[in-house]
Amino acid sequence: MKKRGVGYGSMFYGLGYGFSRTDIASATLALNQDGSIIARSGEVEYGQGSDTVFCQIIAEELGVDYIAIKLITADTDVTPDSGPTSASRLTFVGGNAFIKVSRSLKKLLHGVAEEILGENDLVFREGMVFSRSDPEKSISFKKLAGEAYARGVPAVVTEWYNNTTHDVDPETGQGDAYATYCWATQMAEVEVDTETGKVEVLRIVAVTDVGKALNPLNCEAQIEGGVAQGLGYALEEEIKEEGGYVKTETLGEYMIPTSLDVPPIEVHLLEVAEPKGPYGAKGVGEPALIPTPPAVLNAVRDALGLRIHKLPANLENVYQLIHGEEAGN
Amino acid sequence: MQSYEYYAPRSLPEALEYLAENTGNCRIIAGGTDLIPALRKEDIHPAHLLNILEIVEARGISETGETVRIGAITTFNDLADSELIRKEFPLLAEMALLVGGPQTRNRGTIGGNISSAAPAADGLPVLLSLDAELELSSRRGKRSLPLNEAITKAWTPAWDDDEMITAIKVNKLPPGTRTKFYKLARRKALARSRMTISLILRSGSGGEIEELRFVPGSVMPVPRRMEEVEKLLTGKVPTDELLDRAARAVGEEMVKVTGIRWSTGYKKPVLGNLFRIVLRQLITAG
Repeated sequence: MKKRGVGYGSMFYGLGYGFSRTDIASATLALNQDGSIIARSGEVEYGQGSDTVFCQIIAEELGVDYIAIKLITADTDVTPDSGPTSASRLTFVGGNAFIKVSRSLKKLLHGVAEEILGENDLVFREGMVFSRSDPEKSISFKKLAGEAYARGVPAVVTEWYNNTTHDVDPETGQGDAYATYCWATQMAEVEVDTETGKVEVLRIVAVTDVGKALNPLNCEAQIEGGVAQGLGYALEEEIKEEGGYVKTETLGEYMIPTSLDVPPIEVHLLEVAEPKGPYGAKGVGEPALIPTPPAVLNAVRDALGLRIHKLPANLENVYQLIHGEEAGN
Repeated sequence: MQSYEYYAPRSLPEALEYLAENTGNCRIIAGGTDLIPALRKEDIHPAHLLNILEIVEARGISETGETVRIGAITTFNDLADSELIRKEFPLLAEMALLVGGPQTRNRGTIGGNISSAAPAADGLPVLLSLDAELELSSRRGKRSLPLNEAITKAWTPAWDDDEMITAIKVNKLPPGTRTKFYKLARRKALARSRMTISLILRSGSGGEIEELRFVPGSVMPVPRRMEEVEKLLTGKVPTDELLDRAARAVGEEMVKVTGIRWSTGYKKPVLGNLFRIVLRQLITAG
């Protein structure tokens, strides 16, 4: 018999390292004569989209085309340490470093443009620098870069963003341990086959407070990826070990969901701006994954009236949950 | 890294000559989806590799009267795409579409699947339920061997070392026959079968079961028809009580072969459940 159930999982999550642990990111910009920019950071892109967001930030701050930026990340020969990709911190900590360094470079270029245009209230937008009051007075960013070089302006800037927080009170454990917190809730609808133990996830709805979606498509994709990972954790992933040897040696045995196993995921982005975040943004990485397993397992509980305590909720474990330890023997 | 001689002839006589000359020390590439990983893991150390994928005589699907001949190097995707297979043996096409992923189905062949003789091979139970025969070729000539005699031990074909499968021959099913292949796995693609059900059913005018052929897959070292269960149901009207009794018999038959293992607690009842579910679907589909 197939039984359906619905479950929810909610979480909040401290972003960054918190508890007074060092949490810093670096960013360097070098402006070339032709207006292109070489950006460097120790932050590690591994598919989540941080490189995209960093280039967006530089382009936004300097009013230049996204493709004029060459970003080099996580090359220890040339990039300064920015801490690991963890704690859902890259957009928040690295993003703030890029805002800071972009504004420093802008300040340098502002000075050069003031000399050339004879105006001191300038707008950097769409590859142009122009007077706010008299937009006819303008110079292209490219030309300005050449002028800066010609004048010997040292257009290489490095900044650090320090996200280290206070510790909590050692006596009471009370205090503001993190720079900010992420919030997310997910709903799962499942169908459990009581005759085989098979759990089929029919639908996931994911609601995440991202502060501000710097790249909405990226946020949605990252949340979908997190959900898929959470489904694997709840239903499939298992390391088998025998006498000290890992028996799950390949990805042919260590199951993670394929695209066919991932149900429709409905993503809702909540934008509650975080004052300390870059343009109000917070982290997305772990909040995408954390609510999925409890939502799925609560849905299994709703379907069966039984709570599973042994993961993964795979064929054998769910069958045993329904029919008892001695099932079939 | 291993080194070996590699040979990819275009004609069958050349292949059979090579096989005969290197008997016992030659492995055949009929797709390579099992063989290449085994080479990489150094589970096997052949001195010679014979690629038969260029051999015309082992290719293609054709019919002669009541018999369909499936070339040994027919890929799973070729099987799934074949109008003839979909019409005559729908369960064979269903099985083919559930093997691995698209890449595996483009490379893997039905002859290779049989030759590997893996307990979890999906092709074996389906072809056993169809009472398939193998066309074996060697320098000495051709012969036919029923599939249930060709694989009697896991991983070990029973034919001679100088022989290879050139085709699989299957007789068409009588009109009114319904078939179903069902695969239970841990995920929907790229997953080894946990258990499979291959069923062939023909019902009489009174709703009684006239003919039933049933082969479970991935539960025994070598899949075979569960004739005791077939007999239990043949000639009878499948009531709920009878189906429950048959489902229990399925689990008991399995344990007779496998004994009690870590997975028995799950497989024994669930194999019976799956049998009942799939058989009921077939009955009501008619």
